[in-house]
Amino acid sequence: MQLTRRTQSVRHQLAAASCALLGATAARGQDTGGVAPEVQAGDWSVDSALAYYHEDGRIQAIEPVVDVSKAFSAGQLLGLKLTADSLSGASPNGALPSNKAQTFASPSGTSLSPVAASGKAAHPYTVLPGQLPEDPDYHDQRVAAALSWDQPLTRLTQMSAGSKLSYEDDFFSASVNASIAHDFNEKNTTASLEVNGEFDTINPIGGTPVPLSDYLLFDKTSGNEHKNGAGVLLGLTQVITAQWVAELNLTADRFTGYLTDPYKIISVIDPVGNTTGYLYEHRPDERTRRSVYLENRVGWSRASVALSLRYMTDDWRVHSETVQLTPRWWMAARTQFLEPTFRWYHQSAAYFYTPWLSNTDTEVGYASSDQRLAAFDAVTYGLKYGIKIDDARQELSLRIEYYQQRQTDRMAAPATLEGLDLYPGVRAILVQVGWHF
Amino acid sequence: MAETNSPIARSVTAEDRPGDLLAVCFQALGGPCEVLLATADRSLALELGTLAAQEAWRIEQKFSRYRDDSVVAGIHSQRGRMITVDPETASLLDFAEQCYRISDGLFDITSGVLRKVWHFDGSDRVPGVSEVARVLPLVGFTKLGWNSPQLLLPVGMELDFGGFGKEYAVDRVYELLAARRTGSFLVNLGGDLRANHPPPSGRWQIGIERPETDRQAALLLELEHGALATSGDAKRFLLKDGVRYGHVLDPRTGWPVPGAPRSVTVAASSCTEAGLVSTLALLHGAHAGEFLSEQGLRYWVLE
Repeated sequence: MQLTRRTQSVRHQLAAASCALLGATAARGQDTGGVAPEVQAGDWSVDSALAYYHEDGRIQAIEPVVDVSKAFSAGQLLGLKLTADSLSGASPNGALPSNKAQTFASPSGTSLSPVAASGKAAHPYTVLPGQLPEDPDYHDQRVAAALSWDQPLTRLTQMSAGSKLSYEDDFFSASVNASIAHDFNEKNTTASLEVNGEFDTINPIGGTPVPLSDYLLFDKTSGNEHKNGAGVLLGLTQVITAQWVAELNLTADRFTGYLTDPYKIISVIDPVGNTTGYLYEHRPDERTRRSVYLENRVGWSRASVALSLRYMTDDWRVHSETVQLTPRWWMAARTQFLEPTFRWYHQSAAYFYTPWLSNTDTEVGYASSDQRLAAFDAVTYGLKYGIKIDDARQELSLRIEYYQQRQTDRMAAPATLEGLDLYPGVRAILVQVGWHF
Repeated sequence: MAETNSPIARSVTAEDRPGDLLAVCFQALGGPCEVLLATADRSLALELGTLAAQEAWRIEQKFSRYRDDSVVAGIHSQRGRMITVDPETASLLDFAEQCYRISDGLFDITSGVLRKVWHFDGSDRVPGVSEVARVLPLVGFTKLGWNSPQLLLPVGMELDFGGFGKEYAVDRVYELLAARRTGSFLVNLGGDLRANHPPPSGRWQIGIERPETDRQAALLLELEHGALATSGDAKRFLLKDGVRYGHVLDPRTGWPVPGAPRSVTVAASSCTEAGLVSTLALLHGAHAGEFLSEQGLRYWVLE
């Protein structure tokens, strides 16, 4: 305490004390640069958005979201968020391009014929030589609802609890979370702890394939699979100066159960690159991840900037780094803003990732050719524009993002596959319109 | 303006001001108050102005030492007993405690009891040394039993939030309006003010009262955004044998701080902070200028 007084001017301490008295909403809120409209007790606040996502030549998705909050007089907050997702398009099935045409069954199919044994229409698809095998008829609908409750316990302590349910054609997820946060140091420091749990049921369309079994045997079992997870998050937020807030989060989580993708296969090729068959993929039934996240937010009267870094590692040996820079400029007496985003991401491959299997491999433990487990770099460039209307009671926003992913660490292609694009990467754009009122 | 328990004035009026501004005016916290808005929408201005006025009246009614129905009066009626205060009062008491520590005891909300012997009415009735010595033991924040949210006010002691009450009200009214409006506005409660953005004309023009006369502005300041608070003895002093006794009392001695300037105006990001710094400057007496220059804020001193 004595040291503090000698090294800081009286004014700095008074500023901190005043901030503590007035609630320092600007420094501690999510929106350092903005005049975030407060939710007054009794008010409903609604955040809605509609996003359109399109991957070049692959899937597209439409996602409406509505997020409603209601504040109560003692500082409690009730939140309800509804999300719907509709995905369609072409999705890679994990197999490699070949110099010959390839035919695959749809997920519900049990043979390559157009009529399934069960009488359901199957949709086998043929892929031309050189093309990346993709299921052209991929579609998925998802509906999710999340409920949350924030409750101040004392002047300095707050707890919150929430739960979320999510339904898809072949997947059901239920999760719960609870957290507690405490302010110290005249509200300049906040420490928080969150625990969460997730319980998922997977019912793959067409049944669960036996891992690493021959694709063309269509050896599948019916019935549900399960995966469960538990996680913990430790957070520390610190007001460093009146303009600068830093946040550090440490997380750890562990999932067990069915973690394999039931629709993905891996091409088996001979030494010159001809495809001799396909096997269903197989992932471990346990995954533990840890991450460190550091974010700095600095706000001035007309601009703000957030810089964040995340390092994540797991026992599948996927290590990733993310760097994101998001400045924001306010214009026209703070009624409009422009916010570009730059994000750079790199990950290393899971130890069992392999773009193909060799027909000379005798023992295969775990294997997956899912691009999302490969080593890759990704960049995102985005721009968001927002405008306050109806005398600042409402806000409209438009966000456009361009995402590009490029696989690194490529294995040398065998003879007959030379010249083929085995690692096509991903390019996608996102357009999102938002309305807050 | 010691009006005990008269119903708080309920009228809020709107008038045009040069520079495409609308002003909503009302009486609160012992003086004229106004909210200046850069809008042509009169009904919106009245709506926001009424919100502002209601918040100012709420704070006045809650913390005024002149009212029998205030929370402060309630605390005074329970001296010698442990009571629980509401969260807002608790925040203000915590704040007062921090200011007491930061200022090494110069800022003390228990010093109001010195008014029993000091009456700043421009006369020459200066108290004697023994009179002051008798009252001094009743001053001292550390003598309060304050352990949030429980308070024990010893018999004979008093609490007075006047030292930052008006500035706190400015900040509260400001937050209320800022949550509803991003167009430019300025909140002015009796000379303590805060603005969010510059008005259409480019700058807010502020006049700071000269201590001697209350008509002519001594200082014309231009403000883009932020808060201004003024502490001073514009009208309250004692004059005896040519010595002017300013109304700023040092709570550690019970006597006025010598050499205090007539008025100090400080600009800061919040009115509470500006008000505290200007009050502390006065409490530094002859060293006010030195204290102010160390703080790194803009300030104006009238001797």
